[in-house]
Amino acid sequence: MRLGSKVRMSTVNSSDPRRPARVTRYKSPLAVNPNSSAPVPGEDPTADYMNVLGMIFSMVGLMMRVKWCAWVAIMCSCVSFANSRINDDTKQILSSFMLSISAVVMSYLQNPEPMKLPWEMLS
Amino acid sequence: MADARLKTLLVLLVLSLYVRASKYQAETEDNDFADFEEFDDDFERPYQGESPADGGGAAEPERAADVGRAAAAADREQQHDGDDDDDALVEVPVHRSTNWDKFYVEMLMIAGDDGKAEPGSGAGLLKESENMYTLWCSGRVCCEGMLVQLKFLKRQDLVSVISTMMKAASDQVEIRVTMNAEEMDTFVFCLANKKSAARLAKEMTDISTYCPERKSAERFGLPAHFSVLSEIHEAAAAVLDARVVAVVNKYPELVEYIHVSDQYSGPKQQLDDQAPVELPKVKPTLAFCFNLPGRGRLQPADVETVRPLMQLVLYMVDRMKRCKLGREGRLKAEKNRLRVQEIFLKQTHQSRAEKAQAKREEKRRLEKERILEEEDPEKQRRLEEKNEKREAKRRAQMRQMKVKAL
Repeated sequence: MRLGSKVRMSTVNSSDPRRPARVTRYKSPLAVNPNSSAPVPGEDPTADYMNVLGMIFSMVGLMMRVKWCAWVAIMCSCVSFANSRINDDTKQILSSFMLSISAVVMSYLQNPEPMKLPWEMLS
Repeated sequence: MADARLKTLLVLLVLSLYVRASKYQAETEDNDFADFEEFDDDFERPYQGESPADGGGAAEPERAADVGRAAAAADREQQHDGDDDDDALVEVPVHRSTNWDKFYVEMLMIAGDDGKAEPGSGAGLLKESENMYTLWCSGRVCCEGMLVQLKFLKRQDLVSVISTMMKAASDQVEIRVTMNAEEMDTFVFCLANKKSAARLAKEMTDISTYCPERKSAERFGLPAHFSVLSEIHEAAAAVLDARVVAVVNKYPELVEYIHVSDQYSGPKQQLDDQAPVELPKVKPTLAFCFNLPGRGRLQPADVETVRPLMQLVLYMVDRMKRCKLGREGRLKAEKNRLRVQEIFLKQTHQSRAEKAQAKREEKRRLEKERILEEEDPEKQRRLEEKNEKREAKRRAQMRQMKVKAL
């Protein structure tokens, strides 16, 4: 090993382990497979679940005119936004926000009565 | 009625403030990580001292670089040619090596590449999501590059905060070093605490294929809550040398797993309806996962505690070159890999046979088409003859194969 290192020293500064010629650029794991739009398995699916949940709640809130569903839908959209990855497209998040806000607005337009809170319903 | 409504509003406000406050704390913690960052970024710091003579008698003393390079507030590109002759093989006494504070390392050419900007423009940490940051470093001997992922606990929304409060978890740093193929010998090894070991054995393709059994790490001098999953025992002993064992023993709760593999291909992909068409691409890799101290409540001082672990990473990167298997070890590894390939080939035999058959049919059809399209009757006749001959030969071959099979 001694011989080896001496030989190396004459060609390259071997005590400095940096090699500018060996730099490989960063390839984002998402860029590697552009065909599949699905995220890498194992990555956080919360954002997607919350997105779907938000859409379901806002649909239920709109159809059944259940006010608390609409509010929960807004909450789900916020959670989904907070958990989204930076390179996720914003269109989906924006659309879920718009959907939940429209659910809230529509349910209150149809019935301006304040929402009955659970502890009030019991009394 | 109005009272109750006011009360609810107040509660909601307080909760949202709490969430915001803890997010702010997380952000300042992220900024504290900038210190940790500079550890990679700081090229001006000199390369001092190196690992001392190994505790085991077999290992040779390793080189120590000249401290005089401390003067170099020099450019990264500058070649230190003059110092080469002065470098001697110096044995650094063991007690000096434990003074980790004096060990500054300039190890990598670029740190913080995002793949798009000019290298060296220093994009730094890349934000992948609110709780995950990535740093890609490259440009070093032995390895293609190193991906450092900071996986923090989720503090960005109320649901996540509540769910993290219920689980005992910590922020983690995951480091994946992709090695050059010739630098690493062929083996698969993993040291992990019991829970991670179970999870990795299930999730990771290479561990589940090559390391069927889990052994306790006590035989290597490590705490009992660690287990070792290893393809070849000799390799495990080679990787877990005195230095590594010392570091792991010093920070047992911080080391989550250490995974060394030449067949690393990531976690198992979700199975589609059909069997996989080809073996996943493998790269020789070292993967480390460290918990950050504090169990979710990081302090600025904790960053310094983690520094020895980073140095462990780099030490192991350098050491992989010297971790060579003996003859039996290598034979065993070869055998294992061939076996895995055979199994895979057998599994896909059906689909490959079908594909070959389809291809043959296609070729035959094309030939027939060509014959029909051929206007010149002479040429047509000749092509037909050729085709006939080929078919006759094929039929004879099939008959021979059937006889052999019998």
